[in-house]
Amino acid sequence: MGRVDEATFAAFHARSAPALRAYVYRVVGNSADTDDIVQEAFLRMLRANVRVDDEEHWRRYLYRVASNLIVDRWRQRKVEQGTEMKQDPASIEPDHENDAAVAQIFSELKPRERALLWLAYVEGESHAEIGASLGVGRRGVRVLLFRARRRLRDLLEARGILVNR
Amino acid sequence: MTEWFDLNPDEERAVAAFMSRVANLRIPDSVSRIADPAALWNKAKLIQRWDAERRALRPLDIMQPIEIAGGLVAAGLLLYWSLPYLLRSL
Repeated sequence: MGRVDEATFAAFHARSAPALRAYVYRVVGNSADTDDIVQEAFLRMLRANVRVDDEEHWRRYLYRVASNLIVDRWRQRKVEQGTEMKQDPASIEPDHENDAAVAQIFSELKPRERALLWLAYVEGESHAEIGASLGVGRRGVRVLLFRARRRLRDLLEARGILVNR
Repeated sequence: MTEWFDLNPDEERAVAAFMSRVANLRIPDSVSRIADPAALWNKAKLIQRWDAERRALRPLDIMQPIEIAGGLVAAGLLLYWSLPYLLRSL
């Protein structure tokens, strides 16, 4: 087992950065914070000297660091401004009307709920994997995810998107 | 894959369909201003070097006040022991 070299890191970065960026952007909702968080997550991964033979471990580490940074920033903003992180207009008004509605509904969830739903549905992670990414126990993930899905269901119902109950 | 235990199948389908739309939302181009991997690599190596230097210098940083305190105590003791001789010579 050796340490990661620059070429291996560049290849890993190319494979994982777009997905990580999409995750952070959808949870955070603005470009400036997304750039900072993604960059800081990769830097911390490199500084942690993760072993070269386990790319899944890198990925998990990256998502955990990014998730922690998102939560830190969110708390910091709440203390500083008494508000949550601002969403870019671009994040809630994409190409056409339906996309805008989707982005708007998703932005109404709390950052942690957005992170949980993204990891579960988009990344297809198990409860244990989500727990490892967010630093929450497996049982905690189950409960938090239940609440996030229920909240999303309520939002969809309120907008008339979910009518088949 | 995650095992679900709460929503009914219709709700589950609606939530999954919604999340699939969220996954396909366009990410603005402005989000691609992240430093390239080579720059990240160099920055990380630089920070690692600083960390290593700080670790290497830590014993010196710890020992410096101890050395000064030891020197002051030694000077004080020397003065104390030599004071009678100094006074006698005056």
